[in-house]
Amino acid sequence: MLRPFLSLALALVLGFACLAQTPTGVIRLRVRVKVGESNKGLPRKRFFLIKGSLEQHKSLIEAIEQQTLETRDCFYKRAGASQALIQWLREHDCESVYCREIDLNDIEGPKAVPEFQQALAVGEKEFGSRSLAQKWLTVNLAAKIRDGFYRQRQEQLRRLIKQAEQLSGAPVLSVMGDRNGTAYFTDLEPGPYLISSLIPVELGNQRVTWNCPIQVKAGDLATERPYLVSNRADRNVKCVGVEKPLPVCELAPAALR
Amino acid sequence: MDAIGYRRLITKARFAFARSQRWRIATILLIVLCTFSNDSSGQRRRSRARPPAPKTSIDYSKFFHTTSEHRQTCDACHKGPTENWKKVRGFPDLADYPDHEACVGCHRTQFFRGARPEICTVCHTKVSPRDDERFLFRKRDAERQFSIEFPHDKHQDVIALFRRWERAETGLLQRVSLVLPPSDKQKSYNNCTICHSTMEKVPKVPVSGWVDNFVPTADTFKSSPLGHEACFNCHWKAQEPINSDCAGCHKLATKPFLVNAAPERISVKFRHQREQHIAECTTCHIQITKAASLRGLKPDVPITSCTECHNKDGLRLDVTNELEALDKNRNFACTYCHTSDKGRLDAPASHYLIAGREPVKRKDLK
Repeated sequence: MLRPFLSLALALVLGFACLAQTPTGVIRLRVRVKVGESNKGLPRKRFFLIKGSLEQHKSLIEAIEQQTLETRDCFYKRAGASQALIQWLREHDCESVYCREIDLNDIEGPKAVPEFQQALAVGEKEFGSRSLAQKWLTVNLAAKIRDGFYRQRQEQLRRLIKQAEQLSGAPVLSVMGDRNGTAYFTDLEPGPYLISSLIPVELGNQRVTWNCPIQVKAGDLATERPYLVSNRADRNVKCVGVEKPLPVCELAPAALR
Repeated sequence: MDAIGYRRLITKARFAFARSQRWRIATILLIVLCTFSNDSSGQRRRSRARPPAPKTSIDYSKFFHTTSEHRQTCDACHKGPTENWKKVRGFPDLADYPDHEACVGCHRTQFFRGARPEICTVCHTKVSPRDDERFLFRKRDAERQFSIEFPHDKHQDVIALFRRWERAETGLLQRVSLVLPPSDKQKSYNNCTICHSTMEKVPKVPVSGWVDNFVPTADTFKSSPLGHEACFNCHWKAQEPINSDCAGCHKLATKPFLVNAAPERISVKFRHQREQHIAECTTCHIQITKAASLRGLKPDVPITSCTECHNKDGLRLDVTNELEALDKNRNFACTYCHTSDKGRLDAPASHYLIAGREPVKRKDLK
């Protein structure tokens, strides 16, 4: 009487064992961009891998390309940030004040950022220590200035990831490139995928979005050639981004300083 | 009643008698035990001025956050920052145990039980009304009752650029303890160093000692942030989870656990700080940027990261050579990268793949 159930269980176990042993593939991503005359790796940008074909994700790609996100400079201008802070962020391509160390030159001297000076003064009062106020400077910055831009981007990413997961029925993976723009997606089931930046990347006075199909093969270790991503078409480039000029920042008079 | 019915009745009666006998014996034993224990406590009473706390089934020398009565909001007991923060930490923090009022509301009986109430030993080094000395908060070697939830990817995203290491003297740098800042000449590649720097002290010796007596140098390892110092500089009062939202990071574990202070490495002979090994962290730790949480994550490094140099024709053939040695002697231990505890295991398929061979198990070798 138990025999059919045992056979079924055995078949399931074997099935799972076979599935577990399915060879997986790897994508070695290399993102290089051309801005003006310089051609360099795009450091520290997150790329997303969505299961499914380009056709399957048509609506998602449309949503990605039609999104109207403010530029970083525009967001901070609208938030009432000083020109010094906007410059400070721009210098190292920072989305928020957490991006890099706030050093003495940012608090004193000709390049001082007024927002940092104010936060330092508040911190000094609160903690009774200038050095601690310096270390903990970001805790006394206004929320919108501190990480408003980063949060806005994250919110948009969450929306797009949700849409992508609904379309593909699989979790969206992501990796961040190193300083040369190299990143790896490992343990991938063979099949078609979409590589996407989801939100535009600002490059000079252009914004670029990438949405490219890729086929992962079983046992593909990607040791031979990387999957080259760029904003310009070239012989080895497998994924060329769509470039658009940065939108004009129109501010209400009250937001201007 | 027939003969069978009679026999059944007799059997039932026997069982009932046996059961009642067992109960009787158990009751007698209990009385004897109680008398005995009362006697022994009576002896102790004679030798001391005040009676010691009678033993109860609850061990009040141990405090568990999992106890249902203790599952309150954290600030019901922990009021932060504690008064001693300047002296103990140098930054606002919970640096001491809760005051007596946090416990005495429910534990009045235990507070005044005997000359040396065991409940005091939860926080106090000595049980004496004249000594209020307390253990270090938190007890370093004690079992942990909370695990930490840390979204590694979010932190990578926000500190996505290289941070400079100089200016330590200005106090601007948030430095993790036990780390050595790289000198000006040293290559330092990226933002990971803000939290993970080269250690300057050899980590704690494993309980069973160093395998093969191989003592790694301090610069073999990278540090990890310890304590609130690495968190509160951003998460103090505005950036969530803030200092009062303990559960934002700390999750109550189902049972207390010990943290292994000794490092766990597959290739303990790999030294991070060796000049040829200094590269951007993600060059080898290729999985780290895709992980949303550190729960269950092993920062695994694929063998290909090593064999770019260590198994190249005309350069070095460290993997190939050891696999060949294994072919000749199945008890051979691969010790170029590993200590023998790992080196005596079957070589993984990835190693054979690098050497361009089919994987072999030790048991299948001669």
